[in-house]
Amino acid sequence: MSAILELRGISKRFAGVAALTDAGMTVEAGGAHALMGANGAGKSTLMNVLGGVVPKDEGLILIDGRPVEITGPRDARRHGIAFVHQELNMLPSMTVAENVLIDELPTSGGLVNRKAMRTLVAPILERLGCTFGPDEVVETLGMGDRQMVEVARALAGKPRIVIFDEPTSSLSDREKRRLFDVIGRLKADGTAIIYITHFMDEIFEVCERVTVMRNGQRVGSGPIRDYRPADIVALMLGDVHEQDRLRAPQVVNTSPMLEVEGLHNGALADVGLTLRPGEIVGLWGLLGSGRTEILRALVGLDPIDRGTIRFGADGRLLPVTPRELHAEVGFVTEDRRGEGLLLPLSVASNISFGNLDRLLGRLGLIDRKREQAFAQGFADRLRIKLASIRQPVRTLSGGNQQKVVFARWLGTQPKLFLLDEPTRGLDVGAKTEILRLTVELAEAGAAVLLVASELEELMRVCDRYLIVQRGRITGELPGTADKDMLLQAVSEARPVERQAA
Amino acid sequence: MSTLVGQARRHGFLVVLVLIFAFFSLVTPHFASGANLVAMLHTMAPVVLMSAGMALVVLAGKLDISIGSIAFLSSTFTVLLMNDLGVHPVIAFAAALVAGALLGALNGFIVVVLGINPLIATLGTMIAFRGVALQLTGAILIPLPESVRALGNLSIGPVFVDILIVALLVLVIDQVHRRTVFGRQVNAIGNGEEVAERIGIPVRKRLFLAFVLSGLLASIGGLIALVQVGSISAYLGRGMEFTAVAVVVVGGISLFGGRGNILPGVVLGALTFEMIENGLNQMSANPYAYRLVTGAIIFVAMYVDALKSGRLQSVRRVALGSS
Repeated sequence: MSAILELRGISKRFAGVAALTDAGMTVEAGGAHALMGANGAGKSTLMNVLGGVVPKDEGLILIDGRPVEITGPRDARRHGIAFVHQELNMLPSMTVAENVLIDELPTSGGLVNRKAMRTLVAPILERLGCTFGPDEVVETLGMGDRQMVEVARALAGKPRIVIFDEPTSSLSDREKRRLFDVIGRLKADGTAIIYITHFMDEIFEVCERVTVMRNGQRVGSGPIRDYRPADIVALMLGDVHEQDRLRAPQVVNTSPMLEVEGLHNGALADVGLTLRPGEIVGLWGLLGSGRTEILRALVGLDPIDRGTIRFGADGRLLPVTPRELHAEVGFVTEDRRGEGLLLPLSVASNISFGNLDRLLGRLGLIDRKREQAFAQGFADRLRIKLASIRQPVRTLSGGNQQKVVFARWLGTQPKLFLLDEPTRGLDVGAKTEILRLTVELAEAGAAVLLVASELEELMRVCDRYLIVQRGRITGELPGTADKDMLLQAVSEARPVERQAA
Repeated sequence: MSTLVGQARRHGFLVVLVLIFAFFSLVTPHFASGANLVAMLHTMAPVVLMSAGMALVVLAGKLDISIGSIAFLSSTFTVLLMNDLGVHPVIAFAAALVAGALLGALNGFIVVVLGINPLIATLGTMIAFRGVALQLTGAILIPLPESVRALGNLSIGPVFVDILIVALLVLVIDQVHRRTVFGRQVNAIGNGEEVAERIGIPVRKRLFLAFVLSGLLASIGGLIALVQVGSISAYLGRGMEFTAVAVVVVGGISLFGGRGNILPGVVLGALTFEMIENGLNQMSANPYAYRLVTGAIIFVAMYVDALKSGRLQSVRRVALGSS
């Protein structure tokens, strides 16, 4: 096997921030190469450079040993590079053949030649083992078939390098098998594959080589047989510096506040969990494992197909719908703008927003003085750094913005908190403060379900860990578990059965 | 029986059309006469053409409500060129087409290059174009030269020539939509602009051309209306943009973009409104009743469109859920 593609010393900065630093990989014809990395490791940027979507600052792209400049997506295709994107780029009201060929429709005499379309697309579909024909309308197809249409589109240009970006995230097990067969056939034809996924088990099945990225750099590369799953996870996450815990792990035996059983939807299978007042439970899994989806399903942001949720702040559990639960919980996400902060408005307005009924003066109008006193109280308690309680939230730092989100929830005094990456994008000091705040919530008797990508953060506050893999909770570890146990837990490739409904 | 219900559902709209036709045929003596049918086709010819032009924009997921004003302004040029400057009618008519394409290009520029919401952009040009035309004509009635006015009654056998011209043009536009790269890519853009962009379709070029064609066809529609009336008045093309939107929607072309066909869509859509107007007229109904009925039909058509896309979304969700 010879190197068909080499990315050498690629660097890219966005607004002064390094996204890629001397990154690279070497891909061989007839093989599949896994590209692994945590969120923000630079995988997508590197692939966007290869696809001509993002211009590189430095570095070389070599195809067949010759340096090439890739100036745009069409140029990339001319060089034989094709993408299969994670999100399916479908034109639902149009036919399969149109979807595959829409950017290069064959014509004769100025009119689109449907017969030529069929003869171009039918062999590709056959090669992919598709049971549908070129004339079927895409919106009548299932997800797996649509994925095949996406693959067919990539293959229509007869590419030599195909990049699969998380191709299995919406596929059933059977559909996944089919995709793997297709990849096998492509390899046999001498096509080079770059395979990006969050699912560890898949790369050991599909790929011969692996490159791991972290912080925009290549941190490991070689034949996949030289690696164990835990090695790759360790490379992806980097050194986990165990930091001092903010609170010793608690073993809580109070009666439960939340019981979830058999939660199913498109992303989750049979999720069950129990939360007790005063404990912090970490949902630990790799990106794409379904940890965020669990939180979203609990509060009704994603629909659930079946499952029961029982909740009771006072110890008496009663069945609730996700929508009802949403009204009872404090829900904090990494997306401070998207989920509730009104950036142009003042800190005071933002904090008092959820509690206006308690701040009414005469005539039912909002009492400004009371509003400010109310907000100031929380600002002091959470040590929000600000010049004035009337200053717009937009002018605060990320950490302080996140504290404003917390402050709003504290005002409504929920008994249950769902925190989804609450520290994402914050500096070290601000992270610690947010985590300390989380501990304070638990001390005050709230139950907390916490999602964080960075293991060291979870390890500073969690009393228990629930291991999340492939939309299931596959295990539980006590708060005393160490880093190796936790890494091992998410690296295990477990047999997966996901049934197609 | 079940197939009958299925057929009715698939062609639900055709059933309504037949019912309307049957109703007016029964309650008025002359509705179903051949002469009246030709008269209806004659009256709706400009609307059909302008709706077909707008349909191209709507299929791309955009909107062009300036077409009535484009029709008016480009016809104004024609009349003034002929009456005030003595330009030959053929050149004056050609000038109108150029003007229509240019005005459409201005719409395209505002929407595609300046990135302004098409509804707002064409609302602006709708008002501005009409303003310019009113200024040029002084808002008074200007008759066409005698020689040109005669064109209005030109017919081959019992069929007016403008019906044939429109039929031919609409056939061509339908083929453009169904069978050219431009048409297919416009349809793709209506399926999802971002998706189209990611696939590599030249979205901006296609949208721009769609607006140009919409303007061009609006000017032709304007000329046909002009010749039919025999003079230009401040009313030419007024309200035509909304009639066209209604025709497009009733014709089964989704305002969400990417769904529906120009033929038979716009013809059936236009026929619906024309039959109701003509029929109510023949019944000597209160002329304002037409507006109420039209409004109700638009509402129902929009609701069906929303239901359809809602149903498709739930189908999509099921597809996701089964993964």
